[in-house]
Amino acid sequence: MKVYIALKEWLAFHAMKVLGESYNKRNYKKIRISLFTTIMAITIIPLLIIAGLSYNNYTDLLIKEERDQLESRLDKSIRAISAMVENLRTVIEFSAWQDRYDELTVQANLEKLFIRLKQHYTFFADIGVIDSRGIQQSYYGPYDLEGTDYSNEQWFTEVLESGIYISNIYLGFREVPHFTIAVSSFDPNSRKKWVLRTTIDASTLQNFINTIKTARIDDLFLIDQIGIMQTSSSLYGEAFSKYKEKRAVSNEYSFYQTEENYFHGSGRIKKTPWTLVLVEKEYVHQQDWLDFRNRLATIVLLCIIIDVLIVYGLANLLTNLIRSSDEIHMKLLQEAEHSDRLASIGRLAAGVGHEINNPLAIINEKAGLAGDILAVSPDFENKEMITGCLESIGKSVKRCSTITHRLLGFAKRQEVKNQQLQVNDVLKEVMVFLDNLMLTNRIKIESQLQYDLPEVFSDQMQLQQVFLNILNNAIDAVGKDGHISIMSHVVAGDVRVVIQDDGPGITDDVLPHIFEPFFTTKDSDKGTGLGLSITYGLIKKLGGDITVRSQVGKGTAFTITIPVEN
Amino acid sequence: MKLHEKEHIRVLIADDEVEFLETLGTRMKLRGFEVTTVNSGGAAIQAVKQDTPDVVVLDLKMPDLNGLEVLAKLKEDFPALEVIILTGQGSFEAGKEGMEKGAFDYIMKPVDLNQLIGKIEEAYAKAKAA
Repeated sequence: MKVYIALKEWLAFHAMKVLGESYNKRNYKKIRISLFTTIMAITIIPLLIIAGLSYNNYTDLLIKEERDQLESRLDKSIRAISAMVENLRTVIEFSAWQDRYDELTVQANLEKLFIRLKQHYTFFADIGVIDSRGIQQSYYGPYDLEGTDYSNEQWFTEVLESGIYISNIYLGFREVPHFTIAVSSFDPNSRKKWVLRTTIDASTLQNFINTIKTARIDDLFLIDQIGIMQTSSSLYGEAFSKYKEKRAVSNEYSFYQTEENYFHGSGRIKKTPWTLVLVEKEYVHQQDWLDFRNRLATIVLLCIIIDVLIVYGLANLLTNLIRSSDEIHMKLLQEAEHSDRLASIGRLAAGVGHEINNPLAIINEKAGLAGDILAVSPDFENKEMITGCLESIGKSVKRCSTITHRLLGFAKRQEVKNQQLQVNDVLKEVMVFLDNLMLTNRIKIESQLQYDLPEVFSDQMQLQQVFLNILNNAIDAVGKDGHISIMSHVVAGDVRVVIQDDGPGITDDVLPHIFEPFFTTKDSDKGTGLGLSITYGLIKKLGGDITVRSQVGKGTAFTITIPVEN
Repeated sequence: MKLHEKEHIRVLIADDEVEFLETLGTRMKLRGFEVTTVNSGGAAIQAVKQDTPDVVVLDLKMPDLNGLEVLAKLKEDFPALEVIILTGQGSFEAGKEGMEKGAFDYIMKPVDLNQLIGKIEEAYAKAKAA
């Protein structure tokens, strides 16, 4: 049981904390903000996740497609270049047919071969025949290179070993880019290897690359094993500049993206020192992609805007609901507190009245006795004065006793004599009773009584007392030449009487206390401060209610609600 | 010393507040009443049994037997006896109950002596008429 109580207290404490301490101290701004952010988060986060996922998926799809296409284009380009190089090689290999060594070492024959070749392939720059020791035996071309010793050259060893050698592009003596193709052959006569070496104008390669480069390809160029560009590039400059990407240099085949959103693909061309690099600007379907992105962004933005509007409205609605329920709660609490306070003050008042009443009775009797004795005593000095004092004591006792009797009235539970009655009739009786007083004070009274008011089951005398008290107060408030209006009507099945005056009104600091006993703003000889509190007690006893509204300088209105059934 | 010469109405006053009781008794004697005073309910019943007065003035709140109990007992034994309730207690119920139990009237303290005397005379007249 103890555990249960502790748990309950703990829960209540934390619930209070969560809801912002107690409801009269709740920060509605905070509640609104946290409601707003929570609901926003709940609704927006999934939306963003879905949008993000679809964005990513679509991007991935595009990239994959892009890569596939790039790959196929790269393959095609590599195949084209390989075929072209192969073609050249075949031509040269065919020219260096085994037994032609003797024939080609004759200058005139070599010249004839060169001219024939040149007829088909204009890009041949020169041609030479080298024997197995590396000495150029014959040469045809723009330089006098006959007798040149190539035996120490790296390429010469290579060509003897593998039968073919293709060089990087280099600037020859004429400062024109060239590359060399050399093939070795076996001479059956001397039983030795020999080499046919040709130099080819590199612009051939450049022209060929320009031919296979399609509109979709942004850049296409060759690099050598250490990354020196063999042909010119629109993005990386002229031939012989350095290409930065190491992957392209070191790998047989590679794909990568650069920061500038370029897609690079590179592949080695077999039997040559070259690697082909193909560059495309990222995203094949540029327009599609932008469309998709824009559409997605628009949809997400629209959703967020609608969401914000709805959630804002919702948060406001909820906050207002909490606030109004708090306000109702507070009001009920205050009302309960108020009537509770009035009841306890009433009990206290009755108790005080009773306690004072007995000594007051003794004072009364003692003074009376003293007066009696004086009355039968012979005259003496100051007798009259003493008699006067005793009379004054008697009067004061009387004044006190009216107060104590009213106080005791709180405890007095006068019998309620219920009967069917017409509230309008009661009001008229009271007005007749006060007619004279109003006439002397030239007070105008206006009454708007609903003629078909239902009869109520209530106590006529007590209702009279209630109306009399309120009207008396109104008459006191308006003074001379004032206006008082009396209205009666039906509200939600109950009879409601509004008594309104155009007096000075009640200030805000006084208003909450007017139903408390002894609270009065009138002179002590005019009011005991009990009238309204008794009125309050009476109307509560009849099952009704009384409320007051007042505005300083404009007047005061008392609203008395009487239930049809008491 | 006598203020007025009255027909000898014999009155019993019962009240636990001795100062009040004695002073009221003296004043009534001054007005020619034959007054007996007692300061408890039991004493009141005793006094009535010994010598039945014309009118009894009874306080409601007394330490031994309260006024209503005394009233009930007196009315049981002396139905014709007139009793006036005089109390500082503001309880309407008590007054009403007293009236139902046969009290002649119900007056609250502090009381104007002339008013009390008026009531006593009325009660006496009623008792005589019966």
